[in-house]
Amino acid sequence: MKKLYYDVSKCLACKSCEIACATGKSASKDLFKAVGEEIKPRSCVIVKTTQGKNFPIACRHCKTHPCVDACIAKALTYDENKKRVIHDKDRCIGCWMCVMVCPYGAIRDNKKLKIPIRCDLCADVDEPRCIKACPVGAIMYLEEEEYDKILADKKSSKKSL
Amino acid sequence: MKNIVIIGNSAAGVAAIEGIRSRDRESKITVISDEAYLAYCRCLISNYLSGTVAEKDLTYRDAKFYKDNNVELLLEKKVERVDSKKKRIILEDKSQISYDSLIIATGSSPKIPKELKGVTKRGVFGFRTIKDTKEIITIASISHTSCVLGGGLIGLKAAYGLNKRKLDVKVIVKSGRILSQIADKTASELFLNCFQKNGIEVMLNTDISEIIGNGDLRAVKLDSGKAIGCSLVIVGKGVAPNIKLISETDIKTDKGILVDESMRTSVNDIYAAGDVAETFDLTADKYENNALWPCAVEQGRIAGLNIAGENIKYTGSLGMNSVDFFGLPLVSMGAFDTELEAASSLDREKNLYKKLVLKGSRLIGALLVGDIRNSGLYLRLIKEKADISKIKDDLLDANLSYAKIAELIKKKEEKIYL
Ligand SMILES: Cc1cc2nc3c(=O)[nH]c(=O)nc-3n(C[C@H](O)[C@H](O)[C@H](O)COP(=O)(O)OP(=O)(O)OC[C@H]3O[C@@H](n4cnc5c(N)ncnc54)[C@H](O)[C@@H]3O)c2cc1C
Repeated sequence: MKKLYYDVSKCLACKSCEIACATGKSASKDLFKAVGEEIKPRSCVIVKTTQGKNFPIACRHCKTHPCVDACIAKALTYDENKKRVIHDKDRCIGCWMCVMVCPYGAIRDNKKLKIPIRCDLCADVDEPRCIKACPVGAIMYLEEEEYDKILADKKSSKKSL
Repeated sequence: MKNIVIIGNSAAGVAAIEGIRSRDRESKITVISDEAYLAYCRCLISNYLSGTVAEKDLTYRDAKFYKDNNVELLLEKKVERVDSKKKRIILEDKSQISYDSLIIATGSSPKIPKELKGVTKRGVFGFRTIKDTKEIITIASISHTSCVLGGGLIGLKAAYGLNKRKLDVKVIVKSGRILSQIADKTASELFLNCFQKNGIEVMLNTDISEIIGNGDLRAVKLDSGKAIGCSLVIVGKGVAPNIKLISETDIKTDKGILVDESMRTSVNDIYAAGDVAETFDLTADKYENNALWPCAVEQGRIAGLNIAGENIKYTGSLGMNSVDFFGLPLVSMGAFDTELEAASSLDREKNLYKKLVLKGSRLIGALLVGDIRNSGLYLRLIKEKADISKIKDDLLDANLSYAKIAELIKKKEEKIYL
């Protein structure tokens, strides 16, 4: 199943992904209306800068998913077929156990909504909105094997240089 | 094909079933619980008490789960003792069940101070089960004032639930602060404020000497001599592991059942997991009884997997918790209340507090109030015993990121960036 990967050499931290994500998570799904919404929509992806490079991060839908284990409300489950962590908002009580155990620091608390902010890979549309929003093509939506291949190619082209 | 018996049908027991069935579809699994309900979210009984979660939404695993996993579930059956010599268990109704492998996942029970006069009166409850909660709700509906004894997490969750039910709640705490298991002095002050502001009276340095009433309780008498009229008392004075059933075996115990890193007890073919087990604590560097839901799940799964033939090692437990009272979140983990070197920041006005405890070049504890972002990164640094000297000065920074700590931790198969 596809996951999000990021090409750090391309990312400019322009935050277009964050804006597209937050808009997609808003009630209106429209940027200009979303800004005025009573509960401000929040982006699931966050770009952080360290040592001059920019690193987007969002839920990795881990195979070992510690958040699912830690969820005391059974609001989180792992779908073995889709290889995704599924969040049932109706069951969620906002205890923040998932925030506490996320090994990537990719889950945050939305105090207003009392539920965590977590990437669902835009389950409501065909593909995650952040991909198209990225002006430099730094966000990739790939099968793991495709990622492995790109990484291998990149390494070998570096060697041949 | 084995005959596997699991005592206890909660976080640890269910995870054990899942662990076993992920490798072994054949073996017979029998699960025994003395409760009348299918596995439920125990931690949410306070939400049930407050009325925000309905009883049906407490279900953790439904009947289909047991059917799909081919598990025989025996409810409302209490195991009286384990006979490890003959590899069988004896139930209260005197029936016997033999096993090849046994998992003890009996959890813990509220500590009720037996010496307290009047503690057996009607209206005095521990707070552990759906049954407790139902009885509490019945009395709460006709009662006005209630008292909670103890200022720990469970007592305060009960108080919170009763407050949301519009009951007048008084929390009586023997020591000088609340939440001492999950907060240091500063954090507990922030929460004390938050509770008082929201109409829950917390009486510190106060103990009760007697519960007064004629069958039904009428009042609690404080050590000062003063009495508080109430018709409901919830005792939140900690929990004790349910180990009575193994008292006739050679299984080694301390506070709980001692287990090795495979979740095996000192007796062959008997495993233990969850609140009943005592495991090696990563930051305390000794055996501890970390009675927590996520620990129970992880331990239960490992016990199950190992019975199914795997050889999986538990890296150790860690005291960690996360709560939210009246919109104020708290996360704490490891050794956060020590005299060791700590980096901290505090803004009392905004209810923001962060404290990171260091031991040499290692992070061994974290406590966050108000802003709990990145707590998972701290947990990771603690669990992996990472050398954090390189990023020491940036640890408190809200801008901390996975990328920042990536080179300090073990990255197994973590593919994210190109
Ligand atoms: C109100 C409340 C709030 C909590 N909040 C949190 C929280 O925020 N975070 C957190 O990490 N943890 C929390 N906990 C603790 C958490 O619920 C426990 O750590 C967890 O339930 C442990 O799971 P377990 O499977 O080990 O045992 P348990 O859940 O205790 O289950 C053990 C089961 O075995 C049964 N049993 C015991 N003895 C026998 C016997 N002899 N025969 C048959 N059956 C038997 C018991 O009746 C019970 O059904 C909370 C607990 C409570 C009560």
